[in-house]
Amino acid sequence: MKTVLVFFAAASLQFGQAKLPQYTKETLPNGAVIAMMPRSGVPLVYFRVLIKGGVESDPADKAGLANVTASLLRRGTAKRSAEQFAEELDYLGGTFGSSGQGGRGGGGEGQLESATVISSEFLSKDFDQGLDLLADAVLHPAFTESEVRKELARRVDGAKAMKDNAQGSIGAYFRASFFGKDHPYGHPPDEMSYSLIGRNDIAAYHSKFYCGKNLLIVVTGDFDPAAAKAKLAQVFGAAPAGSAYTWSTVPAPARKGQMLLIDKSDATQTYFQIAQPGIDNKNPDRTTLEIINTLFGGRFTSMLNDELRVNSGLTYGANSQLEQERLPGAIVISTYTKNDTTAQAMDMALEVLKRLNEKGITAAQLASAKAYVKGLYPTRRLETMDQLAALIGEIELYGLGRDEVDGYFGRIDAITLEQANATIKKYYQTGNLTFVVLGAADKIREQVKKYDPHATEVSIKTAGWGDR
Amino acid sequence: MRWITALLFLPALVAQNVQTATLANGMKVIIQEDHNIPNVAMYFFYKIGSRNERPGITGISHFFEHMMFNGAKKYGPKQFDNEMEKAGGNNNASTGEDLTTYTDWFPSSALELMFDMESDRIRDLALDPKMVASERGVVYSERRTSVDNNNRGILEEQLQAAAFIAHPYHWPVVGWPSDIEAWTQQDLKDYFAIGYAPNNCTMVVVGDVTVARVMELAKKYIEPIPRHEPPPPVRTKEPEQLGERRIVVRKAAQLPLQMIAYHVPEAKNPDSIVLDLVSTVLSTGQSSRLYKRMVDEEPLALSVNGRAGDALDPTLMIFTIQPRNGVDPARTEKVLYEELARLQTTEISARELQKAKNQLLTQHYNRLKTIAGRASLLGHYDVIFGDYNKMFTIDKDFEAVTAADIQRVAKKYFTEKNRTVATLIPEGGARK
Repeated sequence: MKTVLVFFAAASLQFGQAKLPQYTKETLPNGAVIAMMPRSGVPLVYFRVLIKGGVESDPADKAGLANVTASLLRRGTAKRSAEQFAEELDYLGGTFGSSGQGGRGGGGEGQLESATVISSEFLSKDFDQGLDLLADAVLHPAFTESEVRKELARRVDGAKAMKDNAQGSIGAYFRASFFGKDHPYGHPPDEMSYSLIGRNDIAAYHSKFYCGKNLLIVVTGDFDPAAAKAKLAQVFGAAPAGSAYTWSTVPAPARKGQMLLIDKSDATQTYFQIAQPGIDNKNPDRTTLEIINTLFGGRFTSMLNDELRVNSGLTYGANSQLEQERLPGAIVISTYTKNDTTAQAMDMALEVLKRLNEKGITAAQLASAKAYVKGLYPTRRLETMDQLAALIGEIELYGLGRDEVDGYFGRIDAITLEQANATIKKYYQTGNLTFVVLGAADKIREQVKKYDPHATEVSIKTAGWGDR
Repeated sequence: MRWITALLFLPALVAQNVQTATLANGMKVIIQEDHNIPNVAMYFFYKIGSRNERPGITGISHFFEHMMFNGAKKYGPKQFDNEMEKAGGNNNASTGEDLTTYTDWFPSSALELMFDMESDRIRDLALDPKMVASERGVVYSERRTSVDNNNRGILEEQLQAAAFIAHPYHWPVVGWPSDIEAWTQQDLKDYFAIGYAPNNCTMVVVGDVTVARVMELAKKYIEPIPRHEPPPPVRTKEPEQLGERRIVVRKAAQLPLQMIAYHVPEAKNPDSIVLDLVSTVLSTGQSSRLYKRMVDEEPLALSVNGRAGDALDPTLMIFTIQPRNGVDPARTEKVLYEELARLQTTEISARELQKAKNQLLTQHYNRLKTIAGRASLLGHYDVIFGDYNKMFTIDKDFEAVTAADIQRVAKKYFTEKNRTVATLIPEGGARK
């Protein structure tokens, strides 16, 4: 049978090792960095543009500014009205944004804490037209007054709509509570912060941040590298050099015992998160912690899911997340259960944490987690062009080096049981935890009082995320 | 008019390296070799779902899916997951109205283990009463999350129940609460006997394997499992709807929510691909008609989309609208009808039709990027459309659809008599 749709041949990866395929990197005279990884196969080209700054560059009183700016890029440019842009993009079957499925409605931008991410994909034959659309939006947005007004008004309503989904909103309450007002991760946008943003803020943010020295453009997929390099250099090289954003320095959130209780009076289920300080994405303990957290709450057979779901049927799922951003984040236990088993589930989660802290893990557990993380790594990070571009983006943005991938399996293999158990003692502590609990307060208040008699209580109907 | 001739130029989609076989016990096997990464996606599509249930045991297909992880003869409780994760693999499963699908992702070194464990649970599921009791709590928690504490979930459940009065799509896949609490050990045993016949299943393996090795293992582990009677055919057909149905859900909420549904045919009906294009024209991308009208030009909605899934039996196209704060849902409803009427009265331009075809085709392409995406599509097309080759000729099927088809289909299905309107009204609010 004749093969026309060929999937890219790897040869980059054999079982037992992970290897990032080669990519080229070039810095343009204006400071913009272009990274390219051409791979023939699926006739698609994927662009990933990172603009250094992201959430941490938001002014404290104007949370959401970086994100709103990104949403408005495609809503009218020097060359195109918003409608023309949308029509041309959709006609090509292209994507612009984070959804990968054509950005149905809404914003259309991805966000890391420390960079804005624009991702865009086209058929290879549309490389030129795709690049023209992408660059037009990223470099020449019009930010018309009417589009700015519409976007901000939608966002205010969107913040309300988010609260109709308990599971979808607890994360914002958590960030405000755990990181606090003074930390750049600690002020999720709300109705009030949007109301303080104006067109001038957006235009000023764009001209300050969307400049050569803050731009990283990653291109992966099926394209001619020589032709692409010339075109990318021409388009993105034309951006003003500007000045590079300097990372903010803020103290890591302190370990503190506290509880925020959010009242959603109609809830029949309580959602809760229990957190403590974790690490940043360069911490030398990070690979060991990934393995430990996999065992604690990162897979189906994890200690948390096994106890709260499989053994007791209290919940559909319980997990622990190890945040890894540029600034130190949290280790967060998350789950939910019906109103009258709230304290039972919280006690059980704390008991599992205590057991991990006191007893550590066994050699068999360590071996299982190592095999699990390595076995799934290729499908999680190395399979598609967008995954590879995301990896290159992280490596270049944070200056991690390609050893981040190539040395990963080696670092996993090197973890010893003693080292793992010492790392557990250091990070998985049982005191001074942050609790965020969302549920019907009248039905659960008495149950959860014991975790913090001085808990702060807020109604979900109140604007903001418990911080207003 | 250079636009109109600017058809999407794509290489022909060719069924590359796809091989199929049928085991002696009737299980169909579809294999695609792909050595890009050293991993495998192995999917089992059982042709059983909530449409095979009856009142009293609603949700049992889904519950069963959970029990398939709770121990068989050789591999006891927890062992399926423990052994799999230890070997570097991961899994999930999902239950729908038509199908129950088991999805395994693992390094190719674990291939034989997966055959051993999958055949064990298909042949000898234990159904331990202790596990049944605990899993009941898990499923109830899943229901509380996806329905009871989720406005979209609860509105859609009520909408389906109103739109279907006779056909099993009337009840929710997760089951009514009283049935979740009440199904018995015997119900589960009976259900296993009808649903989990090898001759009622298609297995798909995509990834770092050879056809010869997969067939060797399939013959060793799966083929000896005896075939038995598949589920009886679903007899009940939904009678024609005789007039608009309206329902209201009152619930504490920040904003109202609206779902408007029309009965549309099953996936195999030639109109279903036309409806895919209709829903794309209406709601995919910021250039789509409903987005432009309701989200962008007029401040009526935060989001709007319309879609009909591929189903074995006649199903629904559901428009979901999230009205803006302070917007009367009567207004969004009226605007939706105006846009549907426009499709019926004015023929769509060639450029707009081509745009929708291009969007759907690149979406389809995107789903072919991963071994998991291809395993999912191969099985879906084989089971729902009766032939996996359909996924490789979809470009030609799209190309054949004309502007007149769009207009005809819009006229046929978007009628007042054929619709059900469901509105969630925030409790305590004074909105109509």
